[in-house]
Amino acid sequence: MGKQIRRWLAQIVTLPNPTVLFFLAKTAFAVEEVSKIIKESVESAIGGNAYQHSRVHQWTTTVVEQCLSQLSKLGKPFKYIVTCVIMQKNGAGLQTSSACFWDNTTDGSCAVRWENKSMYCIVSVYGLAI
Amino acid sequence: MMQGSNTYLIRPNHQHKFKPAVVKEYIREIVRDRLSGVRYNPEEVPELCRSLADSIKDKVKNAGLDRYKLVVQVVIGEQRGQGVKMSSRCLWDADTDNYAEDVFMNENMFCVAAVFGSYYY
Repeated sequence: MGKQIRRWLAQIVTLPNPTVLFFLAKTAFAVEEVSKIIKESVESAIGGNAYQHSRVHQWTTTVVEQCLSQLSKLGKPFKYIVTCVIMQKNGAGLQTSSACFWDNTTDGSCAVRWENKSMYCIVSVYGLAI
Repeated sequence: MMQGSNTYLIRPNHQHKFKPAVVKEYIREIVRDRLSGVRYNPEEVPELCRSLADSIKDKVKNAGLDRYKLVVQVVIGEQRGQGVKMSSRCLWDADTDNYAEDVFMNENMFCVAAVFGSYYY
């Protein structure tokens, strides 16, 4: 009997602890999920519209705000930073880079490049674990 | 990378707080120093952009901010009369967290650099 219990105990110890896995799954920055949120926000805010100077302000605002509201619905213990750049296409180049000082094990980022016939849109999301 | 020891501090001291005006000055100095008179060259821009972001991050990191996580984003674009718009929103603690940004322009390129600082409790 004692031997049986010891064997069970040994098994429990060697198996990955479900609580630990659950905790990790809840707090890591889920890039896939975030990338989906970004794409949906951009599609719904801009979609097939052509570049219009009078509307870019509204578009960038809608994209970042929609991303944030979806991110907050994930209910994860993160602070989020969302930026969106829209540039009219006329052959000019655009480059973005980022450098971060954070906890690599929990924090993460996701950038999505989207374009249609008349503009580029680059959205970056940074998630900082609390 | 971050110091994980628990200090039981939930608010930064005033001298260790992220001060946007100070950080903005750092950004301005670094960007002006590196981009004055530089022409937009598609081959060099990715590396330039990355190293600019890195220098700004290092500068701010060594500026005596205590327990701050930093995100530095640099956007460099060619100027050909096209329209550009950048927006950002943050979900964070407005009491402790802050950001600074600066825009640099010369004859053929523009550069926007933003630093976001988030206090790690």
